[in-house]
Amino acid sequence: MMAILSLMLRAVVVLCGAAIATFSLLWHAPGDPALAIAMARHGTIVSETVVSVVREQAGLNVGFWSALQDWAGPLLVGDFGHSSVTGRPVLPDLLNAMGHTIPLALLGLAIGLAIAISLAMLATRRPGGGVDRCAVAVASLGAAIPVYWLGLLLILVFAVQLSWLPAMGARTPLHLLLPALTLGLGVAAALMRIIRSGILEARAQAFLPALARRGVTARAIASDHIALHAAIPVVTVLGLELAFLLEGAVMVEVIFARPGLGSFLVDAIAARDFPKVQAVVLLAALLFVTINLLIDLIYRLIDPRIGARSA
Amino acid sequence: MLSVDQVTVKRGRVRALDDISLRLPAGQTLAVVGESGAGKSTLIAAVLGLIGLANGRISWDGAPVAHCRPALVMQEPRAAFNPRLSIRQTVLEPVVAARQPLPADRLDYLCDRLELSTELLARRPHEISIGQAQRAGILRALLNAPPLVLFDEPLSALDAVTQKHTAQLIADLQAEHGFAALIVTHDLGYAAAYSEQIAVLRAGRIAELAVTARFVRAPASDYGRTLRAAAVALGALDDSA
Amino acid sequence: MSRGSLLVTDLSVQRSGRVLLHPTSLQISRGERLGLVGASGSGKSTLGHALVDTLRAQGRRVAHVPQSPDEALDPLRSMAFQWREAERALGLAPDYARQQQLCTALRIAVDQLGQRPWGWSRGMQQRFVIALALLGTPELLVLDEPTSALDPVIAARTMKLLDSVLAHGQTAILLITHDLGLAARRVDRLLVMHDGHIVEDAATAALLAHPRTPAASALTRHRSWLTLPC
Repeated sequence: MMAILSLMLRAVVVLCGAAIATFSLLWHAPGDPALAIAMARHGTIVSETVVSVVREQAGLNVGFWSALQDWAGPLLVGDFGHSSVTGRPVLPDLLNAMGHTIPLALLGLAIGLAIAISLAMLATRRPGGGVDRCAVAVASLGAAIPVYWLGLLLILVFAVQLSWLPAMGARTPLHLLLPALTLGLGVAAALMRIIRSGILEARAQAFLPALARRGVTARAIASDHIALHAAIPVVTVLGLELAFLLEGAVMVEVIFARPGLGSFLVDAIAARDFPKVQAVVLLAALLFVTINLLIDLIYRLIDPRIGARSA
Repeated sequence: MLSVDQVTVKRGRVRALDDISLRLPAGQTLAVVGESGAGKSTLIAAVLGLIGLANGRISWDGAPVAHCRPALVMQEPRAAFNPRLSIRQTVLEPVVAARQPLPADRLDYLCDRLELSTELLARRPHEISIGQAQRAGILRALLNAPPLVLFDEPLSALDAVTQKHTAQLIADLQAEHGFAALIVTHDLGYAAAYSEQIAVLRAGRIAELAVTARFVRAPASDYGRTLRAAAVALGALDDSA
Repeated sequence: MSRGSLLVTDLSVQRSGRVLLHPTSLQISRGERLGLVGASGSGKSTLGHALVDTLRAQGRRVAHVPQSPDEALDPLRSMAFQWREAERALGLAPDYARQQQLCTALRIAVDQLGQRPWGWSRGMQQRFVIALALLGTPELLVLDEPTSALDPVIAARTMKLLDSVLAHGQTAILLITHDLGLAARRVDRLLVMHDGHIVEDAATAALLAHPRTPAASALTRHRSWLTLPC
C-alpha cells in the first residue's frame, strides 16, 4: 500500500515538473509570440501598435513568474485557458482532437499486438528454424522503416494501386484502417522480438519439466504458465511503446491528413499559440504518467516479487 | 589470535549480529554453525571489514584484521572466477595485488598438494569440475600464506565423497602451514570432525560456544541439541557404532 | 514378477551423442524403500527422470520430487492453483477433505494456500511439493535429493514427516542422494551408480559391510563425518 502511494506521489511530482518545464521552455523560446499571434489574426503585415495591443491582451507583457501563476492557477481546477489566437477555450478543441487520435492509437496498438503475438508464436514453434529466422528478419526490417515512409507505401499500394481503402481524411470508420495499420506495423515490429524472447525465456524455466511430470498437459502449461511469464517483459515494454504510439500517431495524422492531436499541435506551434501547445504537452505527460503507473501496478499484480525488490 | 569482542551489526532495525564474542587462536579451527539467516555470512563480512560495526571490536593480534591480509574461500568458486581468465591468472591475482615476490616453488608445491595439474591451471572456469574449482579457490587463498583463512560453506556445493576429500586436504594444509581457519558451515558433521571450537549462531546471537568434543558428546543448549539430532537423523553424524 | 511391482527394462538416455545412462533394467516391489547413491555426475538424476517418464508412459502412477522447490513450483501461481492443477492432471475431482488431511500431515498452512510460493519458507514449499506428489497415491515416489536445499533441522523434520506419511502406504520410494549417510538410515536396498551404470545393487546392510566395487567402497568409506561416542 505504501509502495502504491509513493508511486502515485512520484507521478504527481513528474507531472508538476513537466508542466513547469514546458512553460519555461516556451516562454524562453526565440521569436516574439505577440507578433506571431498578430500575424495569425490580422495577416502578414501588422503595425507595431497592433502587436502591442495583442501583447497586452494575451497577457504576454508580464514577468515570467506571474505569467506562470496565471497559467498554473486555473490549471489546478482543470482550466487549460483560452487560445491566444482565436480566444476560444482550449479544452473543447483539445478533447475533440483527442476523440480522433485515441481510436487511432488504440486500434494501432491492437493491430500491432495481434500481429506481434501471432508472429512470435509462429516463430517460437521451432526456434532457430526457417520461419523463426524469417520472422526476426522481417521484424528488424520493420523496426528500421520510418513511419512516414511506411504510410506513403501503404497509401501507394492500397489506395492508389488497388483502390481498396480510402487514404485521406476521416469521414468514415473505414478511413481509420490505413493509418491504424501504418501505426500497428511499427508497433508489431518493435514488440515481436520482445515477445519472442519472452516466450523462449519463459519456456526455459526450471519448473516446467516438473509440471509435465505431474501430468499437466502441454496446452495447459503454455496457457497457464508460459503465457504469464512471457507477459512480464511485454508489459514492461508496453509503457515505452506508448511513446512511439503518441509520436507515431501525430506523424500518421499529418501523412493521412486526419484531424487530431497531430494537426492540433502542428497548427498551434506554427501560430505560437502557447496555451494550446502547453495543453498538448501536458496531456501527453499526463497520459505517460498514468499509463506507466498502471503498468507498475499490473506488474506487481503479476509478480509480487518485483514490488518487494524495489521497495 | 582473532578476537571478536561484543560485536553488533545492524541491518536497518534488525540486529544481524548481536553481541558476538569469539576467540580463535593461531593455527586452530573455529566452526560457526546455524541455519540460513542466523548471521553466519554477516560474521564473515564483519571479520573481513566489509561492513561497519554498530558496536564492538574485531582484531588480529591487537591490530585491525585487514593488516594480516586474511583470505576467503567461497561456496561456489566458479561464480567467483572471471570466466575470461585462465584459472592460473585468477589464482595469481592476490599475489600480483600484494606486490610481494612469491617463493619460487610455492605455487608448484601447493598445486601438487591440492592435486591441481599445470594443464588444469591453463583452463577456464567452465572447463573444470566444481571440486577442482573449489581446490583452485583454496590454492588462491593460501598462496600469500595468510595467518587467517575464512571459509564460507566451503563444501556445500560438493558431493559427499568430494566433501570429505576436500575437508581432509584443508586440514592437512592447515597442519603444515599453521593458518587459523574460521569455517562457516551448516553441516554439523563437518564442524564436529574438523574443528577445535564450535559456535552455534541463531538469529544473530551465540546460542552456544563450546569445545567441539564436548559439544558433540552433549550440547548444553536446546538449540544445540536440536542441531545434533538433525545431523544424526540425516546421517551426517553416525551414532550407530 | 510379483503383483504390483514395477519393472522397467533397457532404460537408456543419450544426449547430443553422449551416453548419460547405459541400458538399465530395474524392478521395484510394492512399498519397497530403495536408495540410489553415487557421486555427482554419475547419472542418478537422469535415471530418476527416465524412470518416472517411462513408468508414466506405461500408465503407472509415479511422482517425482526434485531437489529444490524452485524446480517444481511456478513462482507466479498460487499454491491453491497449483494444487487444483495437479488434481486435474490426475483426473481427480476437487476434494477439500483430502487437501486438509495431506496438508495437516505435512504441516502445511492451509490458510496460506491462496498465496504464491514466494513468502513461504523453503521447507514448507518442499513439503507442499511432496504433498502434490502424494496426491495421486503413487505406486512409486522418486525423491531426488529432497533435502539438500534445506537447512539440516528443517531437512531432518521433512524426512521424518515423509516417513510418517508413507509409513502404512503401498508407495515405494526411490531416494536419490550423493550422501550414503542419509540413505543408509532410510532404505532397505541400495543401488550404486557410477558413470551411467548401476554398478552395485544390494541390501543396505550388506553393501555397507561389504562393498564390492570401488565406487561403493568410496561411498562407504566416506559415509559420515564422525562416529559418535555412545
